[in-house]
Amino acid sequence: MSFRGQTPTIVVLKEGTDTSQGRGQIISNINACVAIQDTLRATLGPFGSDILIVNNNKTTISNDGATILKLLDVVHPAAKILVDISRSQDSEVGDGTTSVALLAGEFLKESKQFIEEGMSPTIITKGFRKACELSCEKIKELQVELHNEDPVEFRELLRKCAKTAMSSKIIHKNSDFFTELVVDSVLTLDQDDLNEQLIGIKKVPGGSMTDTKFIKGVAFKKTFSYAGFEQQPKNFKNPKILNLNVELELKAEKDNAEVRIDKINDYQEIVDAEWKLILQKLQAIVDTGANIVLSKLPIGDLATQFFADRGIFCAGRVPQDDMNRVILAVGGSIQTTCSDITEHDLGTCEVFEEVQIGGERYNLFEGCPKTKTVSLILRGGADQVIEEVERSLHDAIMVVKRSIKNRFVVAGGGAIEMELSKILRTYSRTIPGKQQLIISAFAKALEIIPRQLCENAGLDGTELLNKLRSLHSKGEVWYGLDFEKESISNNFEKFIWEPSLVKINALQSATEAAILVLNVDETITNKANEEQPNAAAAAMAGRGRGIPR
Amino acid sequence: MQAPPQSMEMPDMSNAIVAQDEMGRPFIIVKDQGSKERSHGIDAIKSHILAARQVSTILKTSLGPRGLDKILISPDGEINITNDGATILSQMELSNEIAKLLVELSKSQDNEIGDGTTGVVVLTGALLDQSLELIEKGIHPIKIANGFENACKIAVENLDKIADEVVIHEDLKDNLLPSSDLFKAAKTSLGSKIVSKSHDKFAKMAVECVLNVADLSRKDVDFELIKVEGKLGGSIDDSKLINGITIDKDFSHPQMPKSFEDLKIAILTCPFEPPKPKTKHKLEISTIEEFKNLQDYEQNKFTEMIAKVKESGANLVICQWGFDDEANHLLLSNDLPAVRWVGGSDLERIAMATNGRIVPRFEDLTPEKLGHAEKIREVVMGTTRERMLVIEGCENTKTVTCLIRGSNKMIVDESIRSLHDSLCVVRNLIKDNRIIYGGGAAEISCSLKISEEADKQKGIDQYAFRAFSQALDVIPMSLAENSGLDPIETLTTLKSQQVNEKNSNIGVDCLGNHQNDMKKLFVIETLIGKRQQLLLATQLTRMVLKINDVIISGKDQY
Repeated sequence: MSFRGQTPTIVVLKEGTDTSQGRGQIISNINACVAIQDTLRATLGPFGSDILIVNNNKTTISNDGATILKLLDVVHPAAKILVDISRSQDSEVGDGTTSVALLAGEFLKESKQFIEEGMSPTIITKGFRKACELSCEKIKELQVELHNEDPVEFRELLRKCAKTAMSSKIIHKNSDFFTELVVDSVLTLDQDDLNEQLIGIKKVPGGSMTDTKFIKGVAFKKTFSYAGFEQQPKNFKNPKILNLNVELELKAEKDNAEVRIDKINDYQEIVDAEWKLILQKLQAIVDTGANIVLSKLPIGDLATQFFADRGIFCAGRVPQDDMNRVILAVGGSIQTTCSDITEHDLGTCEVFEEVQIGGERYNLFEGCPKTKTVSLILRGGADQVIEEVERSLHDAIMVVKRSIKNRFVVAGGGAIEMELSKILRTYSRTIPGKQQLIISAFAKALEIIPRQLCENAGLDGTELLNKLRSLHSKGEVWYGLDFEKESISNNFEKFIWEPSLVKINALQSATEAAILVLNVDETITNKANEEQPNAAAAAMAGRGRGIPR
Repeated sequence: MQAPPQSMEMPDMSNAIVAQDEMGRPFIIVKDQGSKERSHGIDAIKSHILAARQVSTILKTSLGPRGLDKILISPDGEINITNDGATILSQMELSNEIAKLLVELSKSQDNEIGDGTTGVVVLTGALLDQSLELIEKGIHPIKIANGFENACKIAVENLDKIADEVVIHEDLKDNLLPSSDLFKAAKTSLGSKIVSKSHDKFAKMAVECVLNVADLSRKDVDFELIKVEGKLGGSIDDSKLINGITIDKDFSHPQMPKSFEDLKIAILTCPFEPPKPKTKHKLEISTIEEFKNLQDYEQNKFTEMIAKVKESGANLVICQWGFDDEANHLLLSNDLPAVRWVGGSDLERIAMATNGRIVPRFEDLTPEKLGHAEKIREVVMGTTRERMLVIEGCENTKTVTCLIRGSNKMIVDESIRSLHDSLCVVRNLIKDNRIIYGGGAAEISCSLKISEEADKQKGIDQYAFRAFSQALDVIPMSLAENSGLDPIETLTTLKSQQVNEKNSNIGVDCLGNHQNDMKKLFVIETLIGKRQQLLLATQLTRMVLKINDVIISGKDQY
């Protein structure tokens, strides 16, 4: 100790680098996650409220966990983990995005006391892993399989699942109407693939939510049109549909080409040649016998009038995804030239129509032979309402999709969490050592779901939870909260069902996230790049900070 | 509105600009935390309700036939006078988020129905106002919203029950008589507007317009076919309906005939000039001879074009592009009146109306592609040099133009808006001929029904139902207030009258006709319009009540 008890500072990292480490770091990470959890907790369940977020002058009103977290613009490294798990829950199962963040936050909150008492994070993580494993096994044991032998009954069962997913959303009161839509949409899809991207969701402001339309086929908004479009027929029965990726316009064939003209007479020839090119293309299209011509690229005024003269409907600049859905619905394939188009390349449907919906006009293709795609045209009083309806429907669609693929359900309303909590508690008593404490902490953390549900609904959480605990210990597996009665009841009989996959995935990712946060005991943040002295560059840097990741 | 600091050991994001960890070191959780505004809980809901109330108070005085107008001055000093709810709101430039929601609400009522844009905002304001009281009693906001939704369902059912049907005469002429229902309905919708001076004229115009373009078998009216054009000068009384098309252009040459009949119209989208290739090109002229050749070529082209037009038999040329003096002169000397620079949508409308075809080049011009109409004439407005062309007696008469005159721009603009409202009313009646009686009669009837139902509800719905019925009362009360009547006395009298006489048509007598039966006064509103108002207002109330957390990112610093 030649330094007389004093350690000299040894500079390893660049100046300005922020380091934090040790137990304090773990605790501060936990605090950050809990703060995020606090923001979200009020949105859980049927009486969960919404959050209004204004970002870059765009207003969003939502109670979808993933959406809120995305818009919160979280920069804290540990808190970001919560955002990520919620997002992965969204892409994996689509529902339960709030629950997963709540659970992760609660696991961390419970482990905070152990950390403060000096317990090693590895012991805690070991316990959490074990508890999670046990819970998932138990869910698999308890889950009930939906029978799909009878299509009518199966449909009814799917509606129940969709209804539970919608219960916390703005469309809760119209859920009968919307569950019908959602189940119909998902059942129309290809049952092996169930690609929800093929459910086209269009939004038209105005009207009431229940004016929402379900179209068995494709719908897309009228594209930009040139003069002459109005003279085209807007209604076809069994039309032939040609899908192109060709620009139909009178234009220079090559952008950088230049023609040198020596003689005046050549002048007219070049003009004629250009006309011939486009007219040939148009004639070739007419010769295919198509009634409807769609193109991803612009269809110019000349072509519009040409088609109008020949009783053909055309639409240019059709967005890519709409085009894809049209092809899936009507058959045929995208053509990149106008020559050699055979009958085989054309699609067809029963009825094509252009209709007015609210203030906008839509092209509808209905009764398609290969209908594996549907469109929903959402209506609502304000843009924010429609957007929230869309998010809610997305959740419900995902839930139905999951229920079809993996036909196992458990009861919602906190029932399954209470049961798992009971089982873990019982198990914890059988093992000695620190693990006992940790597994019972995990069990306690699970109760956050029913407790928060009660709190949001303004019910007495402590009382109801005690009732639930006692019933579960008597073997009533499916007892959960019932908001209609403001009490408890058998939620399986009440048809409050959720796909078990949602729960398993939520538990697993929440545990993983908690473990990840607990295992981090040091953060090294490199100092942000020096800002440029001149004002313009400084402004740019400021802008850079404002842009979400 | 900052939430009261909460006594939690956790960093609470609402008051934590920077949270501190155990070591006393600050850390940031959310980006730009300091500049974010945050409010949550009941405080947030209350501040939202106050914002909504302010907006609806502004609009309240514009409700009804005795409603007053507002002056709106845009950032560039343009003045707008209106009492149309949607217009007022869209020009107010609100910064509050909830107020913006109300704007969208009235906009969507405008898009869908076109009438009742003030009413829907006033109703939403009233509903939120009522829920404020309930929230203060400690009732959960979402439960209030649920109750409102149930009450709304009953109100809508009640509307269906009290709805009446109007007669749409088979013979279109009958609908234009002042005694026809459509006419009276159009008149009601104009009641509160600036044009009430020439009430009958506008009502007739609206009915005629819609009936001309309506497809009665499909019950559909395409508004694209109705063009409303405003021109300054003259009085409102000089406004008229033109059974045809107007173009805001004049003939290309002042010596061309100002009006002639039996038109054959060539509709062109190519300019009167020698065609140019689209590919980049270059023409080098080295000798004088070649230059002469070029000139001849151009000359020939012009005569060739004119010959082609002549050959097809056209006697009027309408062109999307311009033509130079040379061509203009040739057209005149060949007796071919022409109009240039006609916009794409006008061109399309002319083509539709005259059954003509738009022709992209002179080579394609044939007699079959010409449009036909009876007459074209140039109309000169007053002493100003403003002219416009009117094409009348088109083959396909399904296009009409309303020409609105007025002594200043604000009056013209407001008249156009008023006409639009009444066009919407007539259209809605053609779509669905069920009506309910106005003057607050429907609201009073629903209010009575709901307060009657309220006692049958158990739980919190009972409160929500009563609140809903009180919110509905705001409409007749504001109507009475705006008409200079004692609101409370009027409302109570009307209510007792409705109950005693079992007549749901009793409403506020705004215009002092000494008659409270709206059926006799024929003050009507469309059923779909009123239904939409109730549904939209309830929906938005739910949305506002559900929000309990607001996060507003700070203004960008650049």
